[in-house]
Amino acid sequence: MTRRDLLKAGFATAAAGLTLPLWKAFALPPAKPGEELVPFLNMPRTPPNRLDWEMLQDWLTPQDQVFGVQHYGIPEFDESKFRLEITGLVNKPMTFTMEQLRARAKKDQLMTLECSGNGSSPGFMNAVYNSKWTGTLLAPILKECGIKPGAKEIVFFGKDKQEELLRPATKRELKVEVPFGRSMSVDDALSENLMLAYDRNGAPLLKANGAPLRLIVPGWYGVANVKWLTRIDVRNRRYMGKYMGRDYVTVRGERRADGIEYVESSVTRIRLKSVIGRVTRQPAQNGQIPLRAIGAAWNDGTEITKVEVKVDGGEWRSAVLDKTPHEKFCWRFFSIDLGNLAPGKHTLVSRAFDAAGHVQPAAEDDEIALKKTYWEAYQQWPREIELA
Amino acid sequence: MPSVAPVRRFLPLLAWFGWSAGLALLSARGAESAPASGGGTVTGRVTYKADSARPWPLGRYYLSGGALAEAVVAIDGPGLSAPASTPKTIWMDQNNFQFVPEIAAIRAGDSVRFTNSDEALHNVMTFQGPEPFNVNLMQGREHTHLFASGRGLEQQILLTCVYHAAMRGWVYVFEHPFYAVTPKDGAFRLENVPPGEYQLRVVHPAGELSWQQTVTVKSGAPLEIEIALSPDQKKK
Repeated sequence: MTRRDLLKAGFATAAAGLTLPLWKAFALPPAKPGEELVPFLNMPRTPPNRLDWEMLQDWLTPQDQVFGVQHYGIPEFDESKFRLEITGLVNKPMTFTMEQLRARAKKDQLMTLECSGNGSSPGFMNAVYNSKWTGTLLAPILKECGIKPGAKEIVFFGKDKQEELLRPATKRELKVEVPFGRSMSVDDALSENLMLAYDRNGAPLLKANGAPLRLIVPGWYGVANVKWLTRIDVRNRRYMGKYMGRDYVTVRGERRADGIEYVESSVTRIRLKSVIGRVTRQPAQNGQIPLRAIGAAWNDGTEITKVEVKVDGGEWRSAVLDKTPHEKFCWRFFSIDLGNLAPGKHTLVSRAFDAAGHVQPAAEDDEIALKKTYWEAYQQWPREIELA
Repeated sequence: MPSVAPVRRFLPLLAWFGWSAGLALLSARGAESAPASGGGTVTGRVTYKADSARPWPLGRYYLSGGALAEAVVAIDGPGLSAPASTPKTIWMDQNNFQFVPEIAAIRAGDSVRFTNSDEALHNVMTFQGPEPFNVNLMQGREHTHLFASGRGLEQQILLTCVYHAAMRGWVYVFEHPFYAVTPKDGAFRLENVPPGEYQLRVVHPAGELSWQQTVTVKSGAPLEIEIALSPDQKKK
């Protein structure tokens, strides 16, 4: 039975009325007899709480491979007294308990969440995971509050706070404690299916993952998904907190007639990226080694149309994109039989294409080579292997 | 401080560095210590029996034919002492975004020389041990830290890099020479152990495994013991 057959069988079973939805039933089939993992030469050991690409198996990432980032540490507070406030330029400021939020219309959101620094160094291509979030949509709440005319931005504050030093080593140095915050335009906040999430993969959020309430912004990098969300503030001026105005700012050179001009922009939606995950081999046949690879491609929800794979200096070849599971804001797995390769060292690399015309760039292409900051590291990701 | 700290600058992917798989495990003195008259010998092998219901995918880095590598084996007990020895310095590199080796067992008074072979800026930091430290290392630079005292397996000293949170290393500092780090075949040999009753202990920090058993060491009667670990020994 081929992998495709196995997939079909698995989904047929799920579709036959079992309680598990399709996406939950999905895992890649076990290795074929004689199939062996080919480890990457240029991937450091994977630590716990990071995606283990060489062992990629589950479309929904197991909990022990889920990364976490906190900029101000994990805050201590009494969850029983937790409240979400809607403040600022609204006709009717509101405050919610978790019970009130859980009583509202419930929605599931399948989503791949990626740290925007993921891919910025050879040791850091494992801060990405795919999971199901459950919560209630933000837009109806904002509608109930009534956004006043003139509102420009919506700021999302977490309960995590820290002292920040502004203008250090100057006469105007200022030390001030601030909450972690991120913002987006009113239009984005109303149109991007933002969710106030309290469950992940069917269980209450973990504290480290933002419990009891986390903002979920499908298709945006991880930093937008504010943990321990406690206040949503509607404003008529740009919010310039550290993680909007100073960090998570991409500096990229743009070619102009008279040279390169550097432009700073905010880290927002996930850029198109693909990564080869697991490479396996069969026993050698006439001195040649059958090889296949699987991997994943993801972006901001734009349809991914194609993934190609190249071995050494060869031609790009189309990989097979899995038809299911196929969710708008989730990664898509791909696979490719690479044929028979000679013993020795080889380099494998993938690139993705989407319906908006984006092509995942190589590290040497301008949009990566002229990028001076590490966020949005979506360049092609070569994998080195050695076949004995 | 972010738990996943991004790097300070971008590195072109083609700037890969060759990654030496030769993870020589560092046991600075261990069985090579000066003999204690009338001491006994403890030898054996550390193995790990996998359980498909409780998989350990990262075990692929440490398991070979059931043998467990990079486990620290040591004896522990009251009154355990040994003659002073000449301090040594061992080397722990930061290469291809990992500590090489990841684990070191040394005797109090020994030092570890940290280097950076990568183009990226690294850092070596620990909050643990009697003297926490935090130092940046540019490529080609080095930093040597003296571990003047330690509490053996009671106190792991976790090393991290603030810029690359996936990097982990461990140092264990012993007040005696009766310790070893298992190589690929899982074997260990502790020599010249003063006769007496001790706890024979094993810790595998990467696998979060911990094991111990009471043993009696006798002069002239070598003690051989197979230590079979499984997910049951995983720290809760």
